[in-house]
Amino acid sequence: MKKYIILLLTTSLAYSVSMFAQDHPIKGQILDDSTGQGLPNVSITIPGTDKGSNTDETGHFSMLVPESSLKKQFRISSVGYATQMVALRPDVIIRLKKETKTLDDVIVIGYGAQKKKNITGAVSSFDARKLEERPIARVDQALVGQLAGVTVKQTTGIPGKAFSIQVRGTGSISGGNEPLYVIDGFPLSVNSSNTGNGTFTTGNPLDNINPNDIESIEVLKDAAAAAIYGSRASNGVVLITTKRGQTGKAKISFNVYGGYNQASKKLKMLDGNQWIDRATEMINAAYVLKYGAAGATANDDDATRRTKIGLTGTQINTAYMLDPRWAMPGHPGLAYHDWQDVIERKGQMQNYELSASGGTDAVRYYIAGNYANQDGFVTGVGYKSYSARANVEVNLSKKIKLGLNVAPTYSVTQDPGVEGKDNIFHQALSMTPVQEDTVGNLPNIGKNAQYAWSNTTNAPLGKLLNNIGTTKRFRTLATVFGDVEIIKGLNLRSSVNFDNTDNAASTYVPYITTGTQASRTFTGSNNLLSATSGTYNSYRRQTFVNENTLTYNKVFNKIHSLNVLIGQSYNLDRLDRTQLSSSGGYTSSVIQTLNAAAAVTGNTQSNQSVLLSYFSRLQYGFKDKYLLSASLRSDGSSRFGANNQYGVFPSASLGWRIIEENFMKHITVLSDLKLRVSYGVNGNNNLPNDYASIATLGSAGYVLGATPAAVIGQAPNVLANPSLQWEKSQTWDGGFDFGFLNNRITGSFDYYNKLNTKLLLNVQVPEVTGFQTYLNNIGSVRNIGEELELTTRNMVGKFQWTTTINVSHNTNKIVSLAPGQTQIIVPNGFEVADQILRVGQPLNSIYVVKQIGFLTQDDITKKVATYGSGETVGDPKYLDLNGDGVITEADKQIVGHPNPDYTYGITNTFRYKGFDLNILVQGQSGGSIYSLLGRAITRTGQGFTDNAPEAYTQRWKSPTDQGAGRFSKAYSTFGFVANTDWLYSSDYIRVRDITLGYNLKNIFKTPVINGARIYFTLENFFGHDKYYNGLNPESANTTVSSNSSYPEAGDYGGLPLAKSLIIGLNITF
Amino acid sequence: MKKIFFIITMAFVVLASSCSKDLNQVPISSGTTETFYKTPSDFIQGINAVYNGLRGATNSPGYPDRLLNLSEIRSDNIYGVSVTVRDWDPINNFSPGIAANTYVEEAWSTDFNGIFRANTLLDQLKKNGANVNSTALATRLQAEASFLRAFFYFDLIRYYGKLPIIDHPVTAPEAVAIPLSAVTDVYKFIITDLQYAIANLPTSYTGVDIGRATKYAAEATLALVYMTRSGPTYNIEGPGLALNEWSMALPLLQDIITNGGFVFNPNYANIFSYSNQSPSAAGNKEAIFDVMYISGASPALGATYVWGLAPNTYFTSLNIPNSNGSLEIIPVSSNLINSYEPGDLRKAATVYTAGYTTAAGTETRPFFKKYLDVTKAPAASRFDWGENFIAIRYTDILMLKAECILHGTPGTQIDVDGIVNQVRNRAGLTPLANVTLAQLFDERRKEFADEGSRWFDLQRSGNLITIMNNWINSEDTQKRINAVTANYIIYPVPQTQLDAAPGLYKQNTGY
Repeated sequence: MKKYIILLLTTSLAYSVSMFAQDHPIKGQILDDSTGQGLPNVSITIPGTDKGSNTDETGHFSMLVPESSLKKQFRISSVGYATQMVALRPDVIIRLKKETKTLDDVIVIGYGAQKKKNITGAVSSFDARKLEERPIARVDQALVGQLAGVTVKQTTGIPGKAFSIQVRGTGSISGGNEPLYVIDGFPLSVNSSNTGNGTFTTGNPLDNINPNDIESIEVLKDAAAAAIYGSRASNGVVLITTKRGQTGKAKISFNVYGGYNQASKKLKMLDGNQWIDRATEMINAAYVLKYGAAGATANDDDATRRTKIGLTGTQINTAYMLDPRWAMPGHPGLAYHDWQDVIERKGQMQNYELSASGGTDAVRYYIAGNYANQDGFVTGVGYKSYSARANVEVNLSKKIKLGLNVAPTYSVTQDPGVEGKDNIFHQALSMTPVQEDTVGNLPNIGKNAQYAWSNTTNAPLGKLLNNIGTTKRFRTLATVFGDVEIIKGLNLRSSVNFDNTDNAASTYVPYITTGTQASRTFTGSNNLLSATSGTYNSYRRQTFVNENTLTYNKVFNKIHSLNVLIGQSYNLDRLDRTQLSSSGGYTSSVIQTLNAAAAVTGNTQSNQSVLLSYFSRLQYGFKDKYLLSASLRSDGSSRFGANNQYGVFPSASLGWRIIEENFMKHITVLSDLKLRVSYGVNGNNNLPNDYASIATLGSAGYVLGATPAAVIGQAPNVLANPSLQWEKSQTWDGGFDFGFLNNRITGSFDYYNKLNTKLLLNVQVPEVTGFQTYLNNIGSVRNIGEELELTTRNMVGKFQWTTTINVSHNTNKIVSLAPGQTQIIVPNGFEVADQILRVGQPLNSIYVVKQIGFLTQDDITKKVATYGSGETVGDPKYLDLNGDGVITEADKQIVGHPNPDYTYGITNTFRYKGFDLNILVQGQSGGSIYSLLGRAITRTGQGFTDNAPEAYTQRWKSPTDQGAGRFSKAYSTFGFVANTDWLYSSDYIRVRDITLGYNLKNIFKTPVINGARIYFTLENFFGHDKYYNGLNPESANTTVSSNSSYPEAGDYGGLPLAKSLIIGLNITF
Repeated sequence: MKKIFFIITMAFVVLASSCSKDLNQVPISSGTTETFYKTPSDFIQGINAVYNGLRGATNSPGYPDRLLNLSEIRSDNIYGVSVTVRDWDPINNFSPGIAANTYVEEAWSTDFNGIFRANTLLDQLKKNGANVNSTALATRLQAEASFLRAFFYFDLIRYYGKLPIIDHPVTAPEAVAIPLSAVTDVYKFIITDLQYAIANLPTSYTGVDIGRATKYAAEATLALVYMTRSGPTYNIEGPGLALNEWSMALPLLQDIITNGGFVFNPNYANIFSYSNQSPSAAGNKEAIFDVMYISGASPALGATYVWGLAPNTYFTSLNIPNSNGSLEIIPVSSNLINSYEPGDLRKAATVYTAGYTTAAGTETRPFFKKYLDVTKAPAASRFDWGENFIAIRYTDILMLKAECILHGTPGTQIDVDGIVNQVRNRAGLTPLANVTLAQLFDERRKEFADEGSRWFDLQRSGNLITIMNNWINSEDTQKRINAVTANYIIYPVPQTQLDAAPGLYKQNTGY
């Protein structure tokens, strides 16, 4: 307060000194209305003149005002604050209110920007400046729970790995469902063709993009908004705008945070005693089943069992005999382990970010550097990134602007192979919890043997400590652009963009973590290393884009506003891959690179595609009341067949700002109302590869010669389809934007109906063509949904409380497949087909046998349908759907679908004095998981060595003790069938983020520091899901389908999400 | 300012107009029909891929497997009733619902893929034949492709009767407009191809080219085409047209016998030995045309037909890994076993009768083992046996000649008796006199058992229905086999083909 008075005094002093000049000096200060802090970079202008000024870091400004302007209104504006018009007087102090009239915000649309109130398409906008207030490692992470219709799935718990994003459901069977990303006007290469296992093997467009550099994110959801991106827009378009400098004094910002992360969820498995209880039961059952005819009983001692089995001396057969130590008090010589605890830890995280921005009338800049280091919560897993960005804009003259954005980044991901089938985390869950106490945490590693009653798994910790999986990625994004104002209102913009990613992934698995102890010889023979293996796979992905646009912007007679865009774009994508792997082991136990491999096999492959586009758009507004937007894009792509090389993608949308109508004037409760309706056609050009339409040749060798020997043969291996083209989507969207009570409540609602047609499917064709099927555009899927976004400012004033809610509902249905085809059972790599594509049903519906309880003696007597011949009392009872008396594949039925019906996110923000509190709750409901992990750890017929969830203590034990009714008896011999046992609801609700911040400006009263904020964040600390035998309902890490045309990714040991506690500091100078 | 505007505008215009040719990208890491066929070697690789059509895709059945599955199993040589319903059951028991049977699908699929490859090469020879740089080589390649196309078509016509005729690579939209052609038209197409092949194929090859089709392979095939057409029609649209073209077949056979340099192998078992390989003067002199296989190549170029009719458990009993063999035993019919005269050396070379024992018990039923040498079991994969299949055998040429003579073409009963007794002598049997057609076919049955000849012989003999139904009555104690009608002489059009273009093909009568 004291300082405030001093400031006031100095300003008045300065004023009085200069009052004799011809131009009147005006000084003052602009403050944030809620915090009372000086606001930097506020622009003060006098409309109609070129006079103006900006505030300094403490919110002060001074300017010379001509006499003639003294009486005029001045415009005070700053991003994020409501613009005010005021009459300036000396030593004025103006308190700016935080922006509430969001409708005046300008948001980025494809090839331009538009006032939100004038937007006629469905666009969700995310103000990414908030990201500074919260520790975020990836851009996709930032979008979780923020936008209606934008589903962000965190499919992995490995830090640094890509999330999966879907806009308005899934409409493609084999063409991928990831949106197009555009960074500062640069459309990045769409890469979702390898979603078969949920990972992005040749990179994700958001890799290495530093979230702190981002100013805003807009998602173009409906066809009309996205259609300007034509053949790539069918899955929505995500526009990312990075920060740029503002005219004014340099603003230096330093952000640092640190903390730790750990597993947010643990799957309780049987502990040592519980496992022994189950193992005893199962071994006894197996023994009695095998030797019961010879009088065996569960109470037989070892000697009796040996006689019955036919063993001598101290021989043991672990299948039918128990470890005597199990029954001894204190189980001497045995150690019990919780393998999840063994491999997990508290991982440290730290992040440093330094940025500077500012500018003069001639040059504006934003430069930033970032270092992040995140150790995963699993030993040996981590992510490091180094990134830098420079965004510079130069005004060569009033009419010519040049700019350069360049962002070099480097990251290193460490993952020795944790997630996925038979990988480390799955093994940690399944590993026998009882082990010999002589080998510590490392049974079956190096010279350590495996416990006789254990499964053969090499200790997961041993693999984490010795196996290596390193991915190093160097990526540079660069854009150079020029903008020329040819005549007033007519601008030519030209840009050249280049994205280069060099990615090298190396793996190394030493022999000490593989095989059995017997196979790991430690004497000096060369073959001791034959089990060692390594790979080195690298790719270079390059995208070159040149775009040239002409825009014309003009308001006629103050009521007709017109914006016309025409443009042209050239886009080249290239991927060069190298794959090397060791063959026949290694010759050194020290060297890990492939020069030490006994032999190396390898190959290189390249592919590239070109997209050539022309586009245009017309936006017209009449009195800002009646709005029209229409666009047309023509895409020519080398990926399409010769007969369909060009696609045309039209769209149109209309808006009616009802609030501007006279009859609305007296409806004071409404502060805004706009009606929107749009229709558009978009494409999805994600063909299975760059050359899918062409008859490529494949190897077809033969044998010839006096001494028969192989000869090379080459013949076409696909049927060319010169008509192959993009998948097509047509979307109707209707919606309205509204504001109530002076915009205390604002929001929007959308309904959409999206029909994807010409789906890429392998269609049967007469074999006179030489082939049974070929890739054709056929089949269709419809997505229908509703979205609501709502922001309410519940409390204003000193204590501020704002709530932002988004809810989306989506349903999809297959409308048609190939002619005469009603269903496709997704071929399954695990011999238990569990998904179906059936006309009239949701995409990838879960298709399994229904379990309806446990078999009773009565059932057995009545010969109810069983699976196979080995089912007995206490085994599961399945629904014999077709009533043929046996359980077969034919008894499968649709029991769920993977996509959630509802997704939602709720953010509550509170501000009081210097404190701010932000809480983000996010969740989904209505979907199902068919879990391979469930199959791995809870299947019938599972051996006793593999561990099972703790819930198995409540298994069926006898007709009178049926446990919790969830699990059948432990020992069964009939194998397993894909059934509802492993079906889980994917519903979850999660408190993603709680951040409490405090403004330290109240403490640091030095003028050097312009702003300082300290915060504490709890990420993923609270939540609930129904994935009872898995860790993360959104996990995807394993290829389920055996046919890449029908990608199905499953969870086979995905890590839980990390929960983290972080302390951070933002300081601006 | 104006300069910059000008430059930018020009750049815009130039860029916009110059890029559209970039839309024609060609695969960087694989050839295409557009980019390949530039050097002689490319065309040779092209023809090799057509030969590959004889063996089918890696790990998949080919021409020899097909003969066993669709000719041998269909005939009275096999009584293949299995415990669990296997794919071969409905072939063996004359079930009418076999349009979707995997063997029925396979024949159409693999042969038409071979025809497509032949057409692709012929098309390229037409368009880019100059790139072969040698008229002689180009002509030979065209003759090889023509021969193979005819060979695939002849294979198909014997199984299905009417077929769509394809003389060039067709696109998917074209394919759905090409109906089945009458059998006579298909034959016309086959004969034209074979006549071209006979005129232009060399009589022999040397070195690395040994194994390619010769003039004699084409003559043999054409002779069999004429003889098949000469067989009775059974009043179906099948391979027999009752054309009485025996006299057209005879000169072709005679040319092979007189000029071919082939030698009647005095030891029956040696014909199929693993050391008596490629068809040539220095190799297997009994072999006129082989489907060739080796073990251990990468990608694999080995055979599966070797164990196609031998049960998996037999290999288990010998502790041979990689689960060779059929899922259940496919027993040789007792009718065939009993037809061997005492002392017939061919019985032991053809049928395994000794029985064997596994954990599951003892198996005493006989099975075919003609190609099986368990010491040659491949180590890596059960799909990788290294034994050639003799598709055209010299003994067959001789016996076909005898058949023509018995149908009244020039020649004498002494010629016929000489041929048959040469065969019987090798088998360790006493000579016959005044051999009749029926005796000739009985001799053929034993000589060519397990070689996929039986069903076609029955067809040509005119007695197929009688012989089959008599056999069923005596052999089928389990009453599992349906009575044979003329419709069952050919197979149904595969269901996939009916589905791929509804209404385009009419299903063969009886299915």
